[in-house]
Amino acid sequence: MPLARAGSGVAHAELRIAVVAVAGLVVILALGLPSFVPAPFVVIAGLYGAQLTVDDVPLDVAAPAFAAGLVVGVELAYWSLDLRDRVKGAPGDELRRLAYVAALGVLALVVSAVLLALVDAISARGLGVDVLGAVAAACALLAVVLFARGRGPTED
Amino acid sequence: MTRRGTARVEGYALLAALLLVAALALRRPELAIAAAPFALVLAAGTTLTRDPRLQAALLPAASRTLEGDPVEAALTLESSVPVGRLEVFLELPAGVEVAEGSPAFALSLAPGEEQEIPLLLRCTRWGVFDVGKVELRATDLLRFVTWERRLSEPRTLKAYPRLEQTRHVVSALETQVYAGNEVARHPGDGIEYADLRDFVPGDRVRSINWRASARRQGLIVNERHPERNTDVVILVDSFVDLGADQRSTLDDTVRAAAALASRYLERRDRVGLVGYGGILRWLRPGMGAAQRYRLIETLLETGVEPTFTWRDANLIPARILAPKALVVALTSLVDPRFVTMLEDLRARRFDLVVVEIEPSGLVRPGPGRTAALAHRLWLLERDVLRMRLAGAGIAVGRWGDETSLEEALEEVRTFRRYARRARV
Repeated sequence: MPLARAGSGVAHAELRIAVVAVAGLVVILALGLPSFVPAPFVVIAGLYGAQLTVDDVPLDVAAPAFAAGLVVGVELAYWSLDLRDRVKGAPGDELRRLAYVAALGVLALVVSAVLLALVDAISARGLGVDVLGAVAAACALLAVVLFARGRGPTED
Repeated sequence: MTRRGTARVEGYALLAALLLVAALALRRPELAIAAAPFALVLAAGTTLTRDPRLQAALLPAASRTLEGDPVEAALTLESSVPVGRLEVFLELPAGVEVAEGSPAFALSLAPGEEQEIPLLLRCTRWGVFDVGKVELRATDLLRFVTWERRLSEPRTLKAYPRLEQTRHVVSALETQVYAGNEVARHPGDGIEYADLRDFVPGDRVRSINWRASARRQGLIVNERHPERNTDVVILVDSFVDLGADQRSTLDDTVRAAAALASRYLERRDRVGLVGYGGILRWLRPGMGAAQRYRLIETLLETGVEPTFTWRDANLIPARILAPKALVVALTSLVDPRFVTMLEDLRARRFDLVVVEIEPSGLVRPGPGRTAALAHRLWLLERDVLRMRLAGAGIAVGRWGDETSLEEALEEVRTFRRYARRARV
């Protein structure tokens, strides 16, 4: 998406970075390093953010599609890592997983579209962005804290 | 139960956090919008999941089986909440395997649903095995949290050794007083013809040999051999165990012991057992089907227990090594303590035979000329040892890769026939 929008000079640079990110993802998947899976997607998101800044568009309507693509890409990467597991799954496991990834993509699309509409309704600039960012950051932080509290061993 | 987060948790949290930071830094709400699905799914995945309270039990259909035969078993699984993926690992001990399929598999569980998975286990060797250990790893529907649980309920499965085919066994030189299938050396009431002698008052009329009496001037009677049983003590060498995964000398020793014990018990002989090694085990001579099960159960406990103490025949209780008993030693003739004990028993005039569980097929020479030479020397030393035992009057039969147990027993019988003639 960023490459499609960029000018020829910027596109070359972004293309190289994107190729490096994809190559990095391939290496990560080949070596089976789940902790490093987010790294290439962070790079791609960074390209998207940089392109938005350069273009300076008021509000990108393709953001939900980008968000859904990012979620599906991350899930597919984790799926490919799970396939390295030697334990054979039950029949139909792959189809269920495919349906799960597709549902996650649709969910991401819907949530992002709703948020985009909300942001558009409030304002594309000013306090709205800061409030939305702060609330989202607080939500993410809360989720991490809640998970960390329940992460230790528990007895029956 | 241990709860852990999957790698997906870190990934989602990292992506959400970095996208939000980038959104704030670049003042672009699109990045915050892209972060929202990650944060939402992460929050749902980590907070809405509940512990599944997994229950599992592996139940074999039988507690006893024969080495190599399949045993049906059922694995019962239950969870209180839906489980997206439940990985099951059967921690089977060495010697037990899943005959069909894999010991590790995955499935999904509905809440409250009890799934029974049929399995087919097989014991590849004799022994007593605990097959109740099951390791479970459950993953929630969103694949953010895993729970691990190790269930260990003792489920004992006994695999009896597969019996080697033997048509004839070694007969004892002396018989006991009870009726059996062995023809006694001394005359008495029996079926087998022994000799002729003059009639003496008290002899039964039916024992008179009228044809012989007609040729002589007086009455001649037939003498017969009575059928008696014998006492047999099986002496198992458990000092060392040579071999690989597929075959070992101790495995073969126990198989041979079980086969011989069964064969002697079929002949109404009394059979006892002495396990001579790091731990001394014994079973008093007895007869019948119950004794057979007692013997095999005792044999299943046989294992190599390392010891450096010197042991001799004095350790064996006298009531086990009964007078006139035939002692059948099953040994690889590797540990000198066992060899010394054999010579000691022979010196005490015990009727002793040795079935050698041949280890030379299991011990390969190492690389290089020196190792090959050492291996040859070792083989020559074994030949010398056999000759020494034969010189002491101990019959040695070799059971190995190229010979069967039946052939080893025939070798022993031949030696004993030859040795008796030599004495005459």
